[in-house]
Amino acid sequence: MAVVQMRRINLLGLRKNRKQTLELLQCRGVVEITSLNKEEDHIFHRMDVSSSKTQFQQMQQSASQALGTLDSYVPRKTSPLAILEGRKAITLKEYHTLERKREEILEIVTTINTYEKEIHEKNAAKLKLQMQLEALHPWLSLDVPLQFSGTRKTSAFIGTLPEGVTNEMIEEVFAKALPESGIYTQIIDSTTEQTCVFLLVNRSISEKSEELLRSLGFARPTNLCANAPKEEAKQLEEKIQRVEEEISAAEAGIASYADKRDEITFLVDYFSMREEKYQVLGTLIQSKRTFLLTGYVPAENAERLSKELYETCGVAVEIENLSDQEQAPVLLKNNAFTSPMESVVESFSLPGKGEIDPSSVIAFFFYFFFGMMLSDAGYGLLMVIACGIILKKYQNMEQNLRKSIRMFFFCGISTMVWGFLFGGFFGDAIQKISATFFGHEVSIPALWFTPVKDPMRLLMFCLGIGIIHLFLGVAVKGFQDWKQGAHLDVIYDVVFIYLFVGGLILLLFTTSLFQNMAGVKWDFSPMVGQVATWITIIGAVGIIATSGRDSRNPVKRILKGIFALYNNATGYLSDILSYSRLLALGLATGIIANVVNQMGSMAGGGIGGAILFIVVFLLGHTMNIGINMLGAYVHTVRLQYVEFFGKFYEGGGDKFHPFGIHTKFFKFRED
Amino acid sequence: MENLGVVFALLGAALAALLAGTGSAIGVGRTGQAAAGIVTEDPSKFGKVLILELLPGTQGIYGLIIAFLTLSNIGILGGNPNISIAKGLLYLMACLPIAIVGLFSAISQANASVSSMGLLSKRPDQFGKSMIFPIMVETYAILALLVSILSVNAINGMNI
Repeated sequence: MAVVQMRRINLLGLRKNRKQTLELLQCRGVVEITSLNKEEDHIFHRMDVSSSKTQFQQMQQSASQALGTLDSYVPRKTSPLAILEGRKAITLKEYHTLERKREEILEIVTTINTYEKEIHEKNAAKLKLQMQLEALHPWLSLDVPLQFSGTRKTSAFIGTLPEGVTNEMIEEVFAKALPESGIYTQIIDSTTEQTCVFLLVNRSISEKSEELLRSLGFARPTNLCANAPKEEAKQLEEKIQRVEEEISAAEAGIASYADKRDEITFLVDYFSMREEKYQVLGTLIQSKRTFLLTGYVPAENAERLSKELYETCGVAVEIENLSDQEQAPVLLKNNAFTSPMESVVESFSLPGKGEIDPSSVIAFFFYFFFGMMLSDAGYGLLMVIACGIILKKYQNMEQNLRKSIRMFFFCGISTMVWGFLFGGFFGDAIQKISATFFGHEVSIPALWFTPVKDPMRLLMFCLGIGIIHLFLGVAVKGFQDWKQGAHLDVIYDVVFIYLFVGGLILLLFTTSLFQNMAGVKWDFSPMVGQVATWITIIGAVGIIATSGRDSRNPVKRILKGIFALYNNATGYLSDILSYSRLLALGLATGIIANVVNQMGSMAGGGIGGAILFIVVFLLGHTMNIGINMLGAYVHTVRLQYVEFFGKFYEGGGDKFHPFGIHTKFFKFRED
Repeated sequence: MENLGVVFALLGAALAALLAGTGSAIGVGRTGQAAAGIVTEDPSKFGKVLILELLPGTQGIYGLIIAFLTLSNIGILGGNPNISIAKGLLYLMACLPIAIVGLFSAISQANASVSSMGLLSKRPDQFGKSMIFPIMVETYAILALLVSILSVNAINGMNI
């Protein structure tokens, strides 16, 4: 239950201290700076920072681009676990060294980007040359240039005709049309698409021949060159080779900067930091010699920060409490057990005004439900070991990731506990292995009972847990009402619900229908039934009388009350039944695990059987863990969001976004 | 004729696996297409989209559970597969809830899931809520599964 208290911080300083102040604030990262609600006038005005911001953005982009280029030519050696390692920490001293070198690094960035552009262009040129070479290919056996047009007495036609044309066909056409003069034809190359021909005729019939050829579909090649095709091809090949050499030179040029990668990543971060700073600079109100800044700061940091600001930067700091109307940004603070829930809460919505931080309330039941739905000691053990090793080995992991892993660690513990209670260790692996390979069945007894054998009992337990969970939600609602001073609402919204729903449940317990279903035999005195009836009636009347208290019209009020009663009755029924998913998903894990073991042991004992068992066991249980972890997570979240939060929580708070160092690759370490 | 009991029971088991599995296959196929589209635009959403994609996949698993429970109860997986016709028909009935609800809920859940992916692609911060909408559909598959499990289990103890 910890939404961090916020204070407003107002800061007035001399302009000469501005840079130092902002740097200190960015370094501490605990103040969310808000825009001061003041019009610009002839003394105070805001700085226009858009051009500098754009400039930083561009520089950051070109550095990112250079980094991408470098990565694609000199791949980084990364393991899939690299994400767990977190950002690299650098000291302030290293930061200043690198900052001084930024012009130099920027030059490297520009060089890399130029190389990259060059490679692009050269590749395009190479492609063009290759196409030319391709086009020249059919003509290679021709030993005159393609633009050869004949000698003094003769005219030459070099070009293509449709496919399937032969020497004879051409000769025949010419003999028919121009019988008096001879021709020379030669098929250079013939493919399924075209026929390349060389044709020599007497210059006197040049024009007529051209017409004749055109009617046959004659076309001259597009790239007429001055040299013989073979010669030309050789030249093209040389050109391609030269371009290729240039490309590999450029690539080598890029690769030579491989050791500068860290510096370039620094530059990306550096410019995003600068950009953030200028963003803030734009919100400040400044006069010729002073500047004004306002924002939110967590109460716990306020004292120290104001002292530090006053002492190192010489600015006047004022910390004040927030007014009641003001909605401060929300920052959650929890201990190791409950903080993993912050992300669950955040994905729903952060607490709004007057609401508590539900992280700590949902934590216990979250782990509890998750464990019940996965409920296999083997799976739990794997989760605990994997998460434990990761948490121990990667101390530098990012906070959010760390919290998620810690969440699965606790979920794993809970899964293990439930697994032992229900007697599941990779399903019935121990029984199956011992029976198949060692001849006699060894079984680990369930500490409590085996759900498959007695599902009704577990169903009742699940619904019971559901009632407790829902009543807890209602209690939290009462707590919130009380804290906000609406003391009577606690009776209206909590006590009446408890009476109504509790009475109904008690009434249900006394019926023989329920007792048969649950397989229990309770002897209640008739008094209990009567008391339960009266409790229910008091609750119902209370709900009818008070639920419509917002309306002034008495008829409307009663109608609203009746509607609320109906809503509560059906709502609680479906809410409680919803907890049956705990049983269904718990059984699902166990049964699939058993199916896997059953399939594995189908080949019987012996070496072949053992190999089959191991393969099926690994594949099957991996799949089962994956699918059921997903199911357990999703349905746990649902129970929290829909059933539990539905009772008391609306959310709607804004996240606290402190002005700070938001980098991708590096973080800072205090020296 | 007296062997007909096991035939009916097996029909039930087959229907449970068949219909619920078909529903999940259609559902996951549909969500998979939408998921691929979103990952094309923004590969970093893969993890979240995958969760939404797999939601309609559970019905097939529920069908499998009932099929397996039935198979092991009627003794097909080793044992004596000799049950009365009445018992066989009871098993068939018991399998129907998850078979039919599984089929339709998986498809409807897939539609809700696809819409939620649209939500996720426009407002990535609303992942928690986008997950809830398809999960609402799942409730009914779970209720059907529950009825099937309880029935199959109860029939096993019956003496007819």
